Amino acid sequence: MTVEAAPRSLADVLRTWDDPALVELLRARPDLITPVPTDLAALAARAGSVPSAARVLDRLDRFSLDVVEALAVLAEPMSVAAVCDALPTAPRDDVMHVVDQCRTLALVFGPPEDLRLVRAVVDALGPSPAGLGPALAATHDRLAAILASPGGLTGLLIDAPDGARQALEQLAWGPPNGRVDNARRPLGDPAAARTPVDWLLAHELLVGVGPDSVVLPREVGLHLREGIVHREAQPDAPGIRTTDHGQDQVDQSAAAQAFTSVRLVETLLESWGLEPPTILRAGGLGVRELRRTAAALDVDERTAGLIIETAYAAALVGADGQLDEAYAPTPSYDLWLTRDTADRWATLAEAWLASNRVAGAVGDRDDRDKVMAALGPDLDRSAASEMRHVVLRELAALPPGAAADASSLVDRLDWLRPRRGGRRRSELIEWTMEEAELLGITGRGALSGPARALVSDDAHEAVRRLAPMLPQPLDHVLLQADLTAVAPGPLESGLAAELSLMADIESTGGATVFRFSPSSVRRALDAGRSAGDLHSMLAARSRTPVPQPLSYLIDDVARRHGQIRVGAASAYVRCDDEAVLSELVADRRSAPLRLRRLAPTVVAAQAPVDQVLNGLRTMGYAPAAESTDGSVVVRRPDTHRTPPRQRPPRLRTEPAIPGDTLLSAAVRAIRAGERASTAPRGRTVGAPLGGVLPRSTTAETLGTLKRAVDSGKSLWIGYVDTHGGVSDRVVDPIRLAGGYLTAFDHRLGEVHTFAVHRITGVAELDDDPGDNAGSEFSGRSDPDPEGVA
Amino acid sequence: MTDGPLIVQSDKTLLLEVDHEQAEACRRAIAPFAELERSPEHVHTYRITPLGLWNARAAGHDAEQVVNALLNFSRYAVPHALLVDVAETMARYGRLKLLKHPVHGLVLEATDRPVLEEVIRSAKMRPLLGERVDPDTVVVHPSERGTVKQVLLKLGWPAEDLAGYVDGEAHPIELFEDGWELRAYQREAVSNFWHGGSGVVVLPCGAGKTIVGAAAMAQAGATTLILVTNTVSARQWKHELIKRTSLTEEEIGEYSGSRKEIRPVTIATYQIMTTRRKGVYAHLELFDERDWGLIIYDEVHLLPAPIFRFTADIQSRRRLGLTATLVREDGREGDVFSLIGPKRYDAPWKDIEAQGWIAPADCVEVRVTLTDHERLAYATAEPEERYRLCATARSKTPVVEELVARHHGDRVLVIGQYLDQLDALGERLDAPVLKGETTIKERERLFEAFRTGEIPTLVVSKVANFSIDLPEAAVAIQVSGTFGSRQEEAQRLGRVLRPKADGRTARFYTVVSRDTQDQEYAAHRQRFLAEQGYAYRIVDSHELDRLDATD
Repeated sequence: MTVEAAPRSLADVLRTWDDPALVELLRARPDLITPVPTDLAALAARAGSVPSAARVLDRLDRFSLDVVEALAVLAEPMSVAAVCDALPTAPRDDVMHVVDQCRTLALVFGPPEDLRLVRAVVDALGPSPAGLGPALAATHDRLAAILASPGGLTGLLIDAPDGARQALEQLAWGPPNGRVDNARRPLGDPAAARTPVDWLLAHELLVGVGPDSVVLPREVGLHLREGIVHREAQPDAPGIRTTDHGQDQVDQSAAAQAFTSVRLVETLLESWGLEPPTILRAGGLGVRELRRTAAALDVDERTAGLIIETAYAAALVGADGQLDEAYAPTPSYDLWLTRDTADRWATLAEAWLASNRVAGAVGDRDDRDKVMAALGPDLDRSAASEMRHVVLRELAALPPGAAADASSLVDRLDWLRPRRGGRRRSELIEWTMEEAELLGITGRGALSGPARALVSDDAHEAVRRLAPMLPQPLDHVLLQADLTAVAPGPLESGLAAELSLMADIESTGGATVFRFSPSSVRRALDAGRSAGDLHSMLAARSRTPVPQPLSYLIDDVARRHGQIRVGAASAYVRCDDEAVLSELVADRRSAPLRLRRLAPTVVAAQAPVDQVLNGLRTMGYAPAAESTDGSVVVRRPDTHRTPPRQRPPRLRTEPAIPGDTLLSAAVRAIRAGERASTAPRGRTVGAPLGGVLPRSTTAETLGTLKRAVDSGKSLWIGYVDTHGGVSDRVVDPIRLAGGYLTAFDHRLGEVHTFAVHRITGVAELDDDPGDNAGSEFSGRSDPDPEGVA
Repeated sequence: MTDGPLIVQSDKTLLLEVDHEQAEACRRAIAPFAELERSPEHVHTYRITPLGLWNARAAGHDAEQVVNALLNFSRYAVPHALLVDVAETMARYGRLKLLKHPVHGLVLEATDRPVLEEVIRSAKMRPLLGERVDPDTVVVHPSERGTVKQVLLKLGWPAEDLAGYVDGEAHPIELFEDGWELRAYQREAVSNFWHGGSGVVVLPCGAGKTIVGAAAMAQAGATTLILVTNTVSARQWKHELIKRTSLTEEEIGEYSGSRKEIRPVTIATYQIMTTRRKGVYAHLELFDERDWGLIIYDEVHLLPAPIFRFTADIQSRRRLGLTATLVREDGREGDVFSLIGPKRYDAPWKDIEAQGWIAPADCVEVRVTLTDHERLAYATAEPEERYRLCATARSKTPVVEELVARHHGDRVLVIGQYLDQLDALGERLDAPVLKGETTIKERERLFEAFRTGEIPTLVVSKVANFSIDLPEAAVAIQVSGTFGSRQEEAQRLGRVLRPKADGRTARFYTVVSRDTQDQEYAAHRQRFLAEQGYAYRIVDSHELDRLDATD
């Protein structure tokens, strides 16, 4: 049983709450209504479970946790006054406030002078709350005797041998565990103790808990601390040191970076579309591929890792599912490409915000000293997305244009969410700040205007705000005699694609520098452009006259382009007699061979060699086969795409906070369940409470039913009717045959036939059901989605 | 978003749109710290390098000026990381200073102790340093002054050399400004150099580097050692100095293969300085022969490695480097920075041209279609023979003849790499051929005859690449080269860039065999010239008529 066995249970407390209070509880602890509990007892059971309590604690700030820890270690009866004594720096009002808050969270109940902490909270706090060891007086007689003696611990410690007190002081403020050889030695006579540790162990002021570890009992610890649980409980969150850069500067800098990140993702996927990098067997992108990609993007590897991970989070890239699996752009990349830059940025930024993958860890080594690869399986951190939200919310709370000092932000988050993020939290925060800067969410360390909208979940507004800050796409370039074209800003996407087809990109940034070379011009010709197309395109898109060397280059390449022709054929036919070949090509029967005359004495065939041979033979010729070497298949591979891939699901550690309608509906449902489970109790003697359906295996069900038919005892059964409706009944079984149970149904007041396969489970009813009848089925009363109508 | 003329690229290049109204102001603002890389007609490319930033620091600019220049003129937001990087790089210069200590002599002093700790711990630095006299000061052996600077530059902490210079043996020199005067940019170059102590002045060919040298000598008023690329150049220096200054024939010595004179002003060639006898550089002691007050390095970008080594040992003498470009094909720009000194003055070619000091040039590439026979020979040739084959193709000869005929009345230089080709051309054109084996005397006679117009056409080999003064050459025809070296291109172009009496446009032809390696090298050349902002055209050899139509 998870609810505290106290004079008054949590369920009783909840029964006294009004609807708004319940709504507030469910709002603050949304995990309690997934799924909706059937009644208040079930709600109490779930609220009293350790995982649920741990979730609440995870969201408490340092000060609230200090108060809760104080409650957890203080002996009952606990009062607010006692908590204040244990936290000397904490003002009473603040403590009172925290206690009230914990009350609404269903962690604490009872009047201020007799507070009760839900048992699960204590468990969720771990073995040594506030650095204090377990309370051991109840189980250790010598310790209990010392505590009960008139002089108490103080008196004993006066006579302590040298070093004993120091040893205790070391453990006093936690952690309470220490290392001692042979810690589980038999308790000796204190008077005969040879070392301070011997003396302490003999008095049970230290207690052995393992072969070589001891723990300081909570009672001793508290005594040494003079009853103080936390010396420096701070009711106020530490502030963030800021530097003001002015919102304009911030926005400008962030917009530039936003533009860059969109461009980088585009460059990345264009290059991967042409040359997909293979996936490591263990998953992820190889170090060499990462380096190559970073060089192609002209950024460092960290930035490349972030760009790759962000593109992945936005589902723009995925595994192509081929035999030699490689990464390639997804179809949604093509859609993404068609949208405005601001829109594209918002997609990336949202994906980053929601993703639990941390690009910052790329290249670090994991616990087994293996390098963690980009897109690899080791980059998920459960707290990453939440941390990003928290950091950005903190930045959003600062005045516009203010950049946060990193270490003060870490301090503040340490206070706000002491239990989240684990050991590497400060690292996560640093990465978040760094990545936000690179993605243009912040500029010079301060949140940009568009990102502010994004943080408040308004992507539309973010796009609207960002668009005017981005450079406007241009429809022209400047052509120069050194065979470069400079686009002094971002280009319209059609023009950009056309230019990168006919020229190589030499430098990127605010502008793009393209360089024409014979090979780049040839590429355009290969793609089907004619020299005329290129000339007219350049003339139309250049602000300046087209330089003569460039026109000359295009003509020069075009002059030689296609001079040598290459094609595919499966077989060839050659014959010195031209007349025979003319005859052959003219013959209708040769049509299936798809012959094409290349020269007077050579014909190429699309059909394979054996077919050509057979065909010619049936036509009456006597061909001889030549070596088949030399049939070349030239094919330009199209750019790679993966099959469609869904965006990875938003990994949420916290269920979404439900809306008001849902909350009040949930409360209504619980109330209804409560009435349902209590109302029939008046009519049906012995009916079980709780409304939670019993579940049992088929064998158990049949066994129990059989026994009940024999003994005539009442049973509680869960039953699914023909419409899928689920209900519970209290029945007196009469007959069991042919897969059907005939029984008297107490609720209906008549004999009814039940299909055995529709019975979800059975439970025998106690003759004397207790107040808290739900407990009877506690083993099976776990929230179960199938068990709830 | 402003509407500035400058665009900052992610690879730290800066694009300057020259037709923009603020372009000139922007150029002025960024020139001190960014190296002009390319200057084609519409968009100039500058590059920010650590050396460039340190040059700027050495010239007294600070990071704030650089950042402001970028922010003020940039069209789009400048990446914050780049600004931070600029500030950090610039802050590295001058944390360490070489000073003259009244007690300990030459010392390395740090304004930032951790930096000193870092460099002292470097394995390369340790043997160069002496005793640590206080936490911020370390003794440096005077002979290691240059090496210390070299090593510090490699470590990324370039030292500011404030240890001063010896005056050297005094020798009064005055400029004779009769009928000419020091141009404004020359005066500025000399004054920048003098205030900086040592360093490099970058001026294009034909912009009067010799005069800058002479003016620097007059400023120093001390004995001077001048290092030049070859003997012809040495004679030219001597000629110029006698003409422009109070120096007389007797005061100027030539130290070369043929003569070994050491006089108050001595002109030596790189070749003699780096001649080894039994593995020893026998002539390097020339540096110590006199108490030189000034050492001038002509064409610093060609300075050979042994001279660097020796220069490291004479850091207490004033050094002036003269060059048309800081770019070295061997990438030793850092050594120039640490041993000769930072850049003290720089003016882009086009600006000087616009001021009318050098002639504008019109570059034309003439493509010759090879005969089938030549094409076959080319296609089957060994790889190492290929370039020679296409460069010396006989089909070029009639084209060269036609070009020379077209410029009848002008003075025409035909420049080539391969002697047989040059000899054949000389014969066909009835022009003298000047090559390596031509005696100095004969060369001077030929040049003189060319200057006076007695010989209208001269065929020259690569000996003419450097430092010969052919003021009236209006047309150059290049028939073959050294595998498309940019350096050579600049030098050859320099031949025709001297201002013409009538201000005509100079013509620079290159005759190229179509569809061969020759054409590939020509592409490099085209890029270089176009990047320097010269008009460049390509015509087919059978369409030379159209060339004149557009003239």
